Amino acid sequence: MSNPEYYNAVKELLYKMADDELIMGHRNSEWTGIGPVLEEDIAFGSMAQDKVGHAYNFYQLLHEMGEADPDIIAFQREEKKFKCCHLVELPIGEYDFSLVRHFLFDHAEYLRFEMLSNSTFEPLANLAKKYKGEIKYHVFHANTWIKQLMNGSEESKARIQPSFNELFATAYSIFEPGPFEDTLAREGVFAGETVLQSKWEETVSSICSANGIILAQVNDKSLAYGGRKGYHTEYLSPLLNEMTEVLRSEPGAIW
Amino acid sequence: MKIISLDPRISRISELPGQDETVIVDHQEGWITYEVFHQKKTGTQHTHVGIVHAPNAEMAIIFAKESFARRGATSNIWVVKSEDVTALDYTDSDIFDTTAEKTYRDASFYKTRDKIDQLKGNEGHE
Amino acid sequence: MYGGGYTGEPEKNQPQAQDDPVLLAEFEAKIDRGEKIEPRDWMPADYRKQLIRMIEQHAHSEIIGALPEGTFITRAPGFKRKMALMAKVQDEIGHGQMLYSAAETLGKTREQMFNDLLSGKSKYSNVFNYPAITWADVTVIGFLIDAAAIVNQVINSKGSYGPYCRALERICYEEAFHLKQGHDAFVALAAGSPMQRQMAQESLNRWWEPIMHFFGPSDKMSVHSERLMRWKVKLASNDDMRQQFLNTYVPKIWELGMTLPDPNLKKNAETKQWEFTEPNWDTFFKVINGDGPCNKERLAVRKWAEEKGRWVRQALINPKEKYTLPYA
Repeated sequence: MSNPEYYNAVKELLYKMADDELIMGHRNSEWTGIGPVLEEDIAFGSMAQDKVGHAYNFYQLLHEMGEADPDIIAFQREEKKFKCCHLVELPIGEYDFSLVRHFLFDHAEYLRFEMLSNSTFEPLANLAKKYKGEIKYHVFHANTWIKQLMNGSEESKARIQPSFNELFATAYSIFEPGPFEDTLAREGVFAGETVLQSKWEETVSSICSANGIILAQVNDKSLAYGGRKGYHTEYLSPLLNEMTEVLRSEPGAIW
Repeated sequence: MKIISLDPRISRISELPGQDETVIVDHQEGWITYEVFHQKKTGTQHTHVGIVHAPNAEMAIIFAKESFARRGATSNIWVVKSEDVTALDYTDSDIFDTTAEKTYRDASFYKTRDKIDQLKGNEGHE
Repeated sequence: MYGGGYTGEPEKNQPQAQDDPVLLAEFEAKIDRGEKIEPRDWMPADYRKQLIRMIEQHAHSEIIGALPEGTFITRAPGFKRKMALMAKVQDEIGHGQMLYSAAETLGKTREQMFNDLLSGKSKYSNVFNYPAITWADVTVIGFLIDAAAIVNQVINSKGSYGPYCRALERICYEEAFHLKQGHDAFVALAAGSPMQRQMAQESLNRWWEPIMHFFGPSDKMSVHSERLMRWKVKLASNDDMRQQFLNTYVPKIWELGMTLPDPNLKKNAETKQWEFTEPNWDTFFKVINGDGPCNKERLAVRKWAEEKGRWVRQALINPKEKYTLPYA
């Protein structure tokens, strides 16, 4: 297990998961205090906190593997070093957009964690098991909202479907294969993005068809790729600038 | 109106309602209320902790979880439509007054020791 | 969080005509015995009115209060502060949720309360009409405004209305976390670089007057509220609460080597009372009446949130459901 390729592969996996969680949590936290219903404001805020919490723990794992401190990784890395997918970078849009992204992202997260709970890389398996309950709620929340809004008013139906149209192809950015897919699979760390993607397609399409949502055929999934290699949408850089604004105002200070 | 806010989230909003723009929330938009009962751990009682506004029971559960169980231990939550609660008026709470004579309902009313001691003739072991 | 001080309407100090004197006497006797009043209990019309007014203002203060702190929700420096601020702003919404519910048990719906907030008819704590310009402002809000709010809320939790007391008990538990994290973040600045210390000092200077305003005008100039005291709607005078706050928190500021922008601020060794320069109450009333630095933005943002959220709420209306007032 001491081979460097193994560790690099695990680190790669951890970085992209952590970055996804951080940016998704950050985006969703933008709704805190200005959501559509007080109770939903609280629920959405909790899930945003869960995501940032997951990110922290993945960065902490990386730190234990010799990488920098979580605060440095998250708040002082340049944009190109981020490995998050394009889906999480997009601005929050209106509430339908944020809900549909939450639905698409969290199903992938749920399935990823389920796969990882059997990982041979034990610290990661343990985290995946630890978060099972949290992410179960996230998916329950997402499914319920999608179902109810698709059975709601004409307006809600007329909002949810276009949000799927807008986001579905970009959701494939989650599954952009990394350079270590084979190693991860061979070593039993993670069965790989392709496996995850087909599980996700199955779940998402069955829920969508049950609720009358039409998912467009995505012919070229790689159009959404790039994030895992450090090529991001135009939205990530301003997000990072904003997130690190206070921290950068006094480098090296403790806040 | 467009506001340059100190909060970047607000600055991103392209158009905020102006001062003389009236915004009214319709009563129906508040849905109905559900009473929330929280159980800390199995084996304990569910306790009333508050209410949530929700359109239906499923959503009420989703809301109740984060409104009332985001800290500390929880094993279960119930939600009950406020409408489905039947209660007595407080003005009738005198029906709960118990008269002092009803001590026959209490364990302390039954004192058998004396009789048993008597039966045993007060002899032998204490 | 919440500041009192303007909750009592000028009152005529006599029972309202419609209150049955026998019921009123029973009601007052109950409060004298330390018992709580519950939602469907008999209560004087004015008790109901004043409580709705007070709890509603408290609730508004929570959701408006989420805005100045929310100013930095995307910019909190580092994981610890980011997580804490996300949780804290969320809690403020949670407090609003619980308080609107408590007020609702008295017969005013949440929507009516929202509408009175948006139209400007109903007020909220003045302190949230000030801007959070720097990160230090967030720490000062978390530390000192929350501290002031706790003083107020702990006292109010001993009041006579059951649902309000219960909500406040839960709220005070969470406020303890708010105060701790705020203090922690403030101390980090005070113990930080010269730039951080300066930031903290400037923020203290900016917020001192709003903080002194927080508990409302001096008892000497505020309306007589003897009956609200007797009914345990109001439990301590504005001056008493301000004294209590100064007594606990001024030393905590001074021990960090920070100063407060009032040369007359000191504790009188004989009277054990804090002496200070009377803040400008004209400013206070001006801000209450809509002319503070952020009043317009705060209400515009709340209006925006209600308007943007409307389709979500409307989509799930079930016309067959009949609304009834919540029980507790």
